[in-house]
Amino acid sequence: MEKIARICYASGDSRLSLYMHPEVLAYPFIFISLFFEAFLLVTFLSRPARAQRERKASIATPKVAIVVPCWNEENTIGGTVESLLALDYPKDQLSIVLVNDGSTDGTREVMDSYIGNPQITVIHKENGGKHSAINLGIERSPDAQFVGCLDADAFVAPDALREIISCFDNPRVAAATPAMSVYEPKTLLERMQNAEFIFGIALRHIIAAVNGLYVTPGPFSFYRKSVIDEIGGFRHAHQAEDMEMALRIQRNGYEIDNAVRARVFAKSPSTVRGLIKQRTRWTTGFLRNVAYEYRDMVGNARYGALGILILPLGFIAVAGGILMFILGIFMSIREAVMTILITNGVPLSYTLIPHSLQLFYFPITTLLVLTLVVTGGIMVFIVLGKRVSQTPGTLVEGMIAYLILFPFIAPWWLIRSFADVATGHKRAWR
Amino acid sequence: MSLFTRNVLIALVITVAIIGTVAYAVNYLDQQRIEELNAIQNRLATDTLSIDTQFALLEEAPCSDLTDGTTLTTELSDLGDKLAFTENKLGATNVEVLALKEQYTLLEIRDYLLTKQLSNSCKLDPVIALYFYSNKPGTCADCDRAGYALSYLRQTYPKLRVYSFDYNLDLGALRTLIGVEKVQPNFPAFIIQSKVSYGFTSLDDLEKQFPKSLFATTTATTTSTKK
Repeated sequence: MEKIARICYASGDSRLSLYMHPEVLAYPFIFISLFFEAFLLVTFLSRPARAQRERKASIATPKVAIVVPCWNEENTIGGTVESLLALDYPKDQLSIVLVNDGSTDGTREVMDSYIGNPQITVIHKENGGKHSAINLGIERSPDAQFVGCLDADAFVAPDALREIISCFDNPRVAAATPAMSVYEPKTLLERMQNAEFIFGIALRHIIAAVNGLYVTPGPFSFYRKSVIDEIGGFRHAHQAEDMEMALRIQRNGYEIDNAVRARVFAKSPSTVRGLIKQRTRWTTGFLRNVAYEYRDMVGNARYGALGILILPLGFIAVAGGILMFILGIFMSIREAVMTILITNGVPLSYTLIPHSLQLFYFPITTLLVLTLVVTGGIMVFIVLGKRVSQTPGTLVEGMIAYLILFPFIAPWWLIRSFADVATGHKRAWR
Repeated sequence: MSLFTRNVLIALVITVAIIGTVAYAVNYLDQQRIEELNAIQNRLATDTLSIDTQFALLEEAPCSDLTDGTTLTTELSDLGDKLAFTENKLGATNVEVLALKEQYTLLEIRDYLLTKQLSNSCKLDPVIALYFYSNKPGTCADCDRAGYALSYLRQTYPKLRVYSFDYNLDLGALRTLIGVEKVQPNFPAFIIQSKVSYGFTSLDDLEKQFPKSLFATTTATTTSTKK
């Protein structure tokens, strides 16, 4: 900014301010972000959210079945099953159904090693998609009062099931979601995802207080079996069967709750490419399900917070993420080109060295301060998410990585998802 | 009223309150900037008048009593930087900015005249450049580049005194200066060592318009950096 001041000193050129006009496009999104954070904060402090946080783990132990759909997860399936076997729950009330969905690696062998365990049922089937594997598992659990799913690359805390089951004390609750974080995050990318997941913990906890959840994630979401019998099993649903099921539950007038201390740890993509692929699947799943099959719910007051606020905001978040990214690139390129043009011929040493660090030149603008407030709000919710879920581990590196890396990575899956939906392009799961 | 509706309304109030507070705070800081500029300007006006008066009183006095003029020019340059920053932030049509700019222009003209008087009477040898730019869209494609090049020269060669003027500023003294120096509305326009020239191509070409003595006084380090 000091550089610009120097440029203007001699030229007195205020035309630079005209070039700033694209920034105006950011204001609506900043307003919406700020409003959403304020809404989250108010809801976090409201009675239903407080009651959720104070809720004790279930003492009752109804009959439960956990389905583990699995496709080529030979490295993680063993750990997943072991974590299920370690759950603090009566063994005669908990059955585990392992469904091999046509794996081509050593998954079959690992699964078969559990044959003979009275708690575990092992099923091998032709590959038919995750939804078909879950449905088969549910079919084989006729006695269960509640059925849960657990991805074969996720691991649960011992008390997670009792925390989840307590959600179903309310007879209107048809599904319950856990508190998901990343399993042993080591790299910067994994730590970034962990911070993001913990932000998601706070988000789900708060939004559940106004029954606004639109996804029951694969890792350890539970369903009231009678409701699944009533509304039907899982569907392919554009590779987002967990999202479609949640939307169907909501459309049928049931509620989806969240167990904020039901900790589950999922493996996360270790490469940027893998992350973008995964998130593209999630985002296209949201866009396609909501825009095609569940369009009637968007903006529909009958569905309360979900219809009026959450689903419309989902679309706005995608559009805003793409627009802000393009705007940022445009402004950066424009600034770079202007700087090159203006400073051309003047020694680089003069251009690069800051000539004044006076407070006077600090570029404080309303947009900058509001952006900092919104960013600070996200950080606060990440900390809250960690505290209320009692998720172990440190967060500082993850939060820094989230601040620095996420804005540069997320737009790519948003753009890719938008392009896929616009062109009708379908991608493979992995 | 449902919990959701109540929370939405409270959130809206909070949002508006935050945005209002931030906007007020940023505006307050901008006003502080303007007040700072005002304070600097007032001080410089007093200093200029003081030197001017000293000069008139001590016409035959030793020139060493009047060397404060150099410091004054430096402070005037800093004020110009700050004013340009403020103009860029608040807009060229901001009433307070325009008022400050007019006062600044008057100070520049006064300092320019004083410098000329001092150099004549005290045998000082400053290199003076007057620079005229235009803020009107489409009238000066090279003003940004010319301004930056002059800023570089000013900071690199302390002997150089640059006075920049917004050609379109509606100020009697400026109009008189433009008339006296016969500056045409072709931008950017320069008066370097009393010689008028128009247009800007490159820093090298601009440097050729300055006397060689300007560059001779700089250190070897600066010279090598320039290359």
